[in-house]
Amino acid sequence: MLEFVKILSVLILLSAFVLMGNKRINSYIETFRVQSLFIALMAGINGIIMLRTEGRFDLLAICVLILVLKVIYIPGLLHRTYAHVKYEVEKDFILNIPILISVCSGLVVFTYFCLGTLSSIIPNSIILQLVNSVSVIWIGLFFMISRKKAIGQIIGFLVIENGLFVTTMLGTEGMPFIVDLGLFIDLITAILIMGILVFRINDLFDSIDTDQLNKLKG
Amino acid sequence: MLFYAAYLFKSSLILYILAALIALLMTKNQKTCNILVNSICILSALLGAAASVLKLTSGVDTLPLIQVHSVVPFISISMTIDNLSAYFILALSILVCCVSVYSLGYISSYIGQRNVALFYFLYTTFILSMILVLTSDNAIFFYISWEVMSLLSYFLVVFESEKSESQRAGKLYIIMTHLATAFLLVGFMIIYSYTKSFDFGLGSAAAIMPDSIKNIVFIMFLIGFGTKAGIIPLHIWLPSAHPAAPSNISALMSGIMIKTAIYGLIRFIPGCLGVEHSWWGITILALGIVSAVLGVAYALMEHNIKRLLAFSSVENIGIILIGLGVCFIALAQNNQLISSLALTAALLHTFNHALFKGGLFLGAGSIQYAAHTRDIEKLGGLIKKMPLTGFFVLCFSLAISAIVPFNGFISEWLAYQSLYAFMINGETGLNILFILAVAALGLAGALAAACFVKLFGFSFLGLSRSEQALRAEEVPLSMNIAMGILTFLCLLSGLFPLVALKLIDPVTVSLGGSSIFSTLRGGFLIVYYPLEAAGNTISPLIFVIFLVIFIALILLAARVVGGKYLERRYGTWDCGFEALNSRMQYSATGYAKPIKIVFRILFKPTRQVVMEGDSIYHPDAIQYKTSYTSIFVKYLYHPILLAVKDFAKITKYKIQTGSIHSYLLYIFIAVMAMMLYNRFL
Repeated sequence: MLEFVKILSVLILLSAFVLMGNKRINSYIETFRVQSLFIALMAGINGIIMLRTEGRFDLLAICVLILVLKVIYIPGLLHRTYAHVKYEVEKDFILNIPILISVCSGLVVFTYFCLGTLSSIIPNSIILQLVNSVSVIWIGLFFMISRKKAIGQIIGFLVIENGLFVTTMLGTEGMPFIVDLGLFIDLITAILIMGILVFRINDLFDSIDTDQLNKLKG
Repeated sequence: MLFYAAYLFKSSLILYILAALIALLMTKNQKTCNILVNSICILSALLGAAASVLKLTSGVDTLPLIQVHSVVPFISISMTIDNLSAYFILALSILVCCVSVYSLGYISSYIGQRNVALFYFLYTTFILSMILVLTSDNAIFFYISWEVMSLLSYFLVVFESEKSESQRAGKLYIIMTHLATAFLLVGFMIIYSYTKSFDFGLGSAAAIMPDSIKNIVFIMFLIGFGTKAGIIPLHIWLPSAHPAAPSNISALMSGIMIKTAIYGLIRFIPGCLGVEHSWWGITILALGIVSAVLGVAYALMEHNIKRLLAFSSVENIGIILIGLGVCFIALAQNNQLISSLALTAALLHTFNHALFKGGLFLGAGSIQYAAHTRDIEKLGGLIKKMPLTGFFVLCFSLAISAIVPFNGFISEWLAYQSLYAFMINGETGLNILFILAVAALGLAGALAAACFVKLFGFSFLGLSRSEQALRAEEVPLSMNIAMGILTFLCLLSGLFPLVALKLIDPVTVSLGGSSIFSTLRGGFLIVYYPLEAAGNTISPLIFVIFLVIFIALILLAARVVGGKYLERRYGTWDCGFEALNSRMQYSATGYAKPIKIVFRILFKPTRQVVMEGDSIYHPDAIQYKTSYTSIFVKYLYHPILLAVKDFAKITKYKIQTGSIHSYLLYIFIAVMAMMLYNRFL
């Protein structure tokens, strides 16, 4: 079973790279959906292990929540939001994709460099997975920086959240159930607000380029 | 006896709280509120004064008053009265008593126009906060009381909030006082990091802290308390805040509030840190010299009575600091007698200044009440219209100029004596500083006399320079009674200085000095220089008696020699003009002109003469405008302000670009730095 977890952790990292390589906004959303699916699977596997060893089913409940929220509801919401604003294929990223991918590789190396010293506290097998999940956080943040459109920032934010979730699940065998629930509620609220804000930005500037926001500065 | 003192203190505190509550409840009935609150304040001030005297004469060192410990760590209300607190509370109580009597009449002109109840709420809580500052026994509680005092006095400064002058003064005041308090907080925190306690245990910090840290804490306290005291160059809030506040508040602010800074310096520097370096005292002495001379030099340039008085407060704080500086130098050199003598001089001058400067601000309030202006150039001839006020202001002016029968003389004399005594067995380098200090004291005294000749002469003598001054009438009796009490006290402590010295003696002894009073020789009426150093005596009463006898003898001689003379009353000879008018008089600007020329390096004066009319040889009207700029504002504060402004501009355009991507990049870099920090540590 643990082998699956390892494979999934690599797949999640890989999906983050794929996300970075995407050019179109619709494919961002689809990649995010795939990544969330991996995370749901991972939570499910860990949940089954936990159910068998300790008899708790928190993680299984969370697995269902992820499936409902991150795989079905949020990507759908984002698709609908994006369908309402003006659709144009244009270059959305600041640097070109090969450079972005190589920076992401650098980030993984950096994370490994920073977390490698933790081996006295955490077993080595988990450290590698931890490196993967922390790298996902970094790539999510970098994705937010590299994309111009507001949808890009929302996706980046969600990817950071995904990375954080995997990290806590690996590092501490999952947070208390109530904390996870709180996080999900926060996430839904944040996404709803961001979705509305995207409309407002679009109304105001006729575009969802966040570059234009600096016109608001006093 | 001590039991009674604690009881009296507590009841006076409760009465102040009661007065504040009554003020809040009686917003509708302002007249009753005025009378009721002031009567309660007078009563509780009298109780406080009685308690302080009982405490000072009891011989017991500390008297715990209220101890309430809360569950929250470090937050506890603990009030203790020791001799130093009791002495300052005595000065506070006397002044509050007089100011409350004064307010009965003064505030009556506000009734119906302003929210008098709000004023009294702020007034009583302001007094209460000062008492808390003076009695708190714990750095956190002290800090909170100090901030409360600053905030309440800010609200009182902007009480006439629709005037732009008040707004500007208030803004400047609150910025300066908050900056200063930040320095105090840093000082307390540094002490805490060594002693692990916020209690003021005497000398507790001295043993533990290393020397370099003590120096830093000293500088923090000097800046923090120095701003509140108004030492040059941190004085800039003072001349704008005092005129903006109502006069009774200015009297309290100048009389007591700025003295809480002196209290803080005495409480924390010798009491908590322990003076080991001479340079601490030398710094304070040098600042005192600068403040004394420049304060009065700026005062001479002012034509607004209350601004003039505010600058004169800077001068007097300078004199107090000269005493304090000598005290600290002597402490560092373990010269107990001199340190006690200098501390006595500083404390006595603090008390005296509270009396006469409080009185002068009340006098300025009376002038404004009667003539509706504070501009000296628009006053004149008031002595005929308000003779009592004039007499009292004259007495206060004499007191502040250190003229003999009044109290200002005694404290300055003691300051001189401590300087001389130190010179006799001092080091050469220090002696030069002491000689400079003596010269500065002399110069400041002379300029102060000139300054108050201007204040009194141009507002009360001559002909009225404006319609308002012409229509002035004597102020209500309560205002004159208040000033009368203060005049009486000034005269009393001037003629019988040993009474005041007896009250100061326990303070210096409890601060680890030697008793000055016991080394004094002679009777009740005579001040003796302490026997242990060198014989030097002075007796103001004998001076006065001789002066009276001398004048009487001259008059007698004139009568005997000259025979019976005729008295003929006639107008001043007007060189053949038809009538003298007020515009032919000497003006205050003209009076101050020679000094302006002498000190032009300080004032950078500018003048502007505009002739109106066809010919410059025969103009219809001439306008003459003079102005001066403060070199501190121009060369110290302006560059700092500009630098802050530039920095703000840089952050606005370079760092806060408004682009989401750059903000995200900042987060990215910060998190990266934190991970690297974690990696290498």
